[in-house]
Amino acid sequence: MTAFVDLDAPAAEPDTGAASSRILLILPCFNEAAAVGPLLMEIAHLRAGFETVVIDDGSTDNTYEVARTMSRCVRLVHNLGIGGAVQTGTRFARDNGYDFCVQIDGDGQHPPAEVMKLLQAYRQGKANVVIGSRYLTSLTFRSTLARRMGSRIIGAALRLFFGGTRISDPTSGLRLFDRAAIEFFAARYPHDYPEPISIAWALRSGLTIKEVPVRMRAREHGVSSIAGLRTMSYMVRVLSYIVLARLQTPVRPRAVVTEEYLSS
Amino acid sequence: MNHFVPSLPTLLLVGLFAVLYLVFLVRKTMRGLLDLYDLLMLSMVALAPALFVFFPGVSDWVAQVTGVAFPFVVMFGMLFVIVFLIVHRLTVKLHRLESVNRRLVQEISILIESVEQDRRSR
Repeated sequence: MTAFVDLDAPAAEPDTGAASSRILLILPCFNEAAAVGPLLMEIAHLRAGFETVVIDDGSTDNTYEVARTMSRCVRLVHNLGIGGAVQTGTRFARDNGYDFCVQIDGDGQHPPAEVMKLLQAYRQGKANVVIGSRYLTSLTFRSTLARRMGSRIIGAALRLFFGGTRISDPTSGLRLFDRAAIEFFAARYPHDYPEPISIAWALRSGLTIKEVPVRMRAREHGVSSIAGLRTMSYMVRVLSYIVLARLQTPVRPRAVVTEEYLSS
Repeated sequence: MNHFVPSLPTLLLVGLFAVLYLVFLVRKTMRGLLDLYDLLMLSMVALAPALFVFFPGVSDWVAQVTGVAFPFVVMFGMLFVIVFLIVHRLTVKLHRLESVNRRLVQEISILIESVEQDRRSR
């Protein structure tokens, strides 16, 4: 079944020719049996015409059984981590010819309705990647001080090494990719600390990035893997990877832009 | 300069190790469990000590050429270089295999989903 979203809805917005775009929501999940069902239900209730694919990263609970009844679901035959799961989603989007894909956490932290803000932001001024930032609005749950500080440091490092782009929430897992970004990330995606490093890779390769304020919810199920002493280790490694990304030869993304698909 | 003269037990021990390890490596290679590069690299771990023990003059000569004060250190230095090369090669190989493995997992998983999707839609 193919669903379409009319991105031309508000007449006041500049026309990007983004009519009838196929949009895929990628939900990477690992042991999210409790969260994935309500999340898929919430997406369905939006009636926004989004298609979904759940990437079950080798869960040991019944995430796959729950997800497959409500959505297409790719069950990875071996656990690859969040980076491998998201890359699988971008490959799926590329192979099935989607115009946009949106990464959205399977633990329910990202309200699906916020996806519309990413699409709206894309329409207002195109960028290859649109990040939903929890730090540009006060309408969201308050993240810990350590997290906010960490995001600021990573954002400052990205700005220092890759120029003017200001990223307030580099660890956000709510992100929209257009065609060029889908092609780029389907071919290469970082497997360690994927959110901030993928931004560094994208910036290094000339992809454009913008942010939009979004509301996020506190985690209801599971615990964050980044806590305590791991926070320090996380920061050191992420910053090292960012420096490495700056030193690497940029990979030019293929000259594929969403416009070409949308206007055809 | 300290001239190192190995004792008979040392000669026997190192010689025995070299022969046994080489036989082990050759058998593994014949069974296809190691490739030629692995055989050459790993055989150095057996051959290098044997070279220094059976020809003690070599360590004196290498020490002189490289400016190392103690010829004894030369042998360990050379073994360290060999082990380093093996580890380097393994790291590169492992990284490549990891990438291939990840890609295979992704492709197979997507393919399984497509087949199931086709089956359901029929």
